[in-house]
Amino acid sequence: MQAAQTQQEIFNRRLPIVIIGMIVASGYLLLQLVGFQAIAPEVANELRPNYNRNIRLAAARGIIYDHSGQRLAENTVEYRIGISPNLVSDKRRVATQLAAILRLDELATYEKINSAEPWVLLTPRVSAEIGQQVEALDLQAIDIEKIPRRSYPQGTLAAQIIGFVGGDLQGYYGIEGYYQDQLTGRIREEVVSDIPFDLPDDQTPDEGSNIYLTLDRDIQYLIESELALAIAETGATGGTYIVMNPRTGDILAMASWPSFDPNAYANVEANVWRNPAISDEYEPGSVMKVLTVAGALDREVITPDFTYVDQGELAVGGIVVKNWDLRAHGVVDVRGILVDSLNVGAATVSLKMGHEAFYAAMDAFGIGRPTRVNLEGEASGTMYIPGDPEWSESNLGTNSFGQGVTVTPLQMLAAVSAIANDGLMMQPNLVARVIDGDRVIESQPTFLRRAISPEAAHIVTDMMVSVINDNDSLDNGAGVPGYTVAGKTGTAEIPSPIGYESNAWIMTFVGFLPADDPQVAILIKLDRPTTGRWASQVVAPRFRRLAERLVVMMEIPPDDVRHALEANAGVVGG
Amino acid sequence: MRTPTQDWLGHALRNTTWRWRQQTLALGVLGLFVAVIIGALYLTQAASIATLNRQLQDLISERNRLEQSNEQIRSEIAQLRTVFRLRSRALELGFVEAQRDQIEYLVIEGYNPNRQTTQLQVEREGEANLPAYDETFGGWLQQQWDNFTRQFQDFSQSGGS
Repeated sequence: MQAAQTQQEIFNRRLPIVIIGMIVASGYLLLQLVGFQAIAPEVANELRPNYNRNIRLAAARGIIYDHSGQRLAENTVEYRIGISPNLVSDKRRVATQLAAILRLDELATYEKINSAEPWVLLTPRVSAEIGQQVEALDLQAIDIEKIPRRSYPQGTLAAQIIGFVGGDLQGYYGIEGYYQDQLTGRIREEVVSDIPFDLPDDQTPDEGSNIYLTLDRDIQYLIESELALAIAETGATGGTYIVMNPRTGDILAMASWPSFDPNAYANVEANVWRNPAISDEYEPGSVMKVLTVAGALDREVITPDFTYVDQGELAVGGIVVKNWDLRAHGVVDVRGILVDSLNVGAATVSLKMGHEAFYAAMDAFGIGRPTRVNLEGEASGTMYIPGDPEWSESNLGTNSFGQGVTVTPLQMLAAVSAIANDGLMMQPNLVARVIDGDRVIESQPTFLRRAISPEAAHIVTDMMVSVINDNDSLDNGAGVPGYTVAGKTGTAEIPSPIGYESNAWIMTFVGFLPADDPQVAILIKLDRPTTGRWASQVVAPRFRRLAERLVVMMEIPPDDVRHALEANAGVVGG
Repeated sequence: MRTPTQDWLGHALRNTTWRWRQQTLALGVLGLFVAVIIGALYLTQAASIATLNRQLQDLISERNRLEQSNEQIRSEIAQLRTVFRLRSRALELGFVEAQRDQIEYLVIEGYNPNRQTTQLQVEREGEANLPAYDETFGGWLQQQWDNFTRQFQDFSQSGGS
């Protein structure tokens, strides 16, 4: 009885302890359950120790190459270095090491490392070499951010085509501006876990596309050298050279003066960043006569046998059009209009066409509309047509020989290239291929429209060959021995608010060769040269000098060899 | 006055004996052994994953460093191959520009410069290097055992040194 009493007392003492223990255990389990299931994820993240950190993966901008794979624009890396002071155990030693590598004051570095801030910037930019030395220390507290920097290894070469990348990492002008979206990679924010069991992510950022241009850097160097020489020799204030494949519209080289170094773009005035070859409009002068005659022949308004009596002047819409030499040339045929570059002849043809046919022909050649070349900042040129308030009847006469109408150098070359390409207008193009990761996007020649018939194109080409071969005014000649060259000069006055400037001209030469199978079309334009009055004196010799170098570089054989090769094995490629 | 629930609980606790039974002890020891085995396997696996992840991280870092190093070298090559530098170097070495009249083109009978070319089929690297999957359960167990013994060996070696 006593034992049973004792056992009952023990039981009574233990029971509350067991019940309390079970309640506490159940409560704990319940709390854990709520913690896992019911608490919002963001609250749970706040409560949980922070084993994750965000990192910013800056993507590399795409590289720009010339057609043979030479780098025109690339990326170099600079480092931004910071430190988390609370993760540094031996602050004095780390300060000494970092100060030596980063060439900082040791005491100032120590003060930064000893601060109570969670993160301190040590240096905003150091070279890759120094950055790698810091990386080699392998200190967990150091935060190294790689900052991409755009670099242009060729310096000033093709600067106006490439453009540049500003401090905001945006591309401006040229290819950098036009292909900003493709070139720039995507900056990615990623969460990185410090838990050793979590599989590390492959932190490769989404890099930008690489772009291969149609540009040939050797030809580019050649025309830039020739342009600089021409500027020095003629006293011109500016100029443009363009070399293009008339069959495909591929631009092989394009240079304007003055230029700049994209590595130091801020050292020049902003207007130098523009590419005058696509953004400067000018009155083309007599080169326009080629388009007038081509349009008239294509529309059968005239035939190759067409003649007129040149009296030296012609009244059109209240103004009097005169020849450049102020002379009457008597009976002149169509070929004579181009060979002797007669304004009266061109105006006679345009009047015979009428404004509807004339402006339709000019539109077919792309006058007054952008070429849609893949470069930023292209101008469209200006051509007033009937119905525009600025248009008058006299425009029909003056536009025929390149006055009262403006074009860009590339527009003019594209139009003449259509004649070289059997009348087919190709879109000027600077990009050969875009490589986006594993995808290669090859650029194909883009056919815009038929400007004139093949027959009309061949007749006009033949006339342009006569311009080179039969023209006494081409003092030093534009022809290249052994090659048939087709071309046309243009000497245009420069319009001002009160008419035209006196003693200032823009001189151009547009031509292509070999005339019967054109492989290269060239435009040379010099602004305000002071060593001659006519393009035939100033620009034509420079065309010849350039063409002579190009046939060597592009391995274009002389006509007799080419014809022999063609007879032997078909078409010869340049 | 006692309720039926109190009776049931009191009866259950009253019958509880506080002495160890041999069978219970054996079961406990067995449970503990199984728990130790599972724990050891878990720790081995976790250590193995952590080690592999660390190695992977090192490899990724090394790859990134090498890629950057390559890029730097490519950049240096581009600097050395600029047309300005090549041209001046060629002139220093005595090269001269070929002139148009110095070039002789040869017409070879029957030679077609636009002849057809044959493109070789290149095996894709990723597919060619894929290892065959031949893992078995026995192999996996053997791998776990090897990992387990290596952990102990590493531990005893580090402890002894």
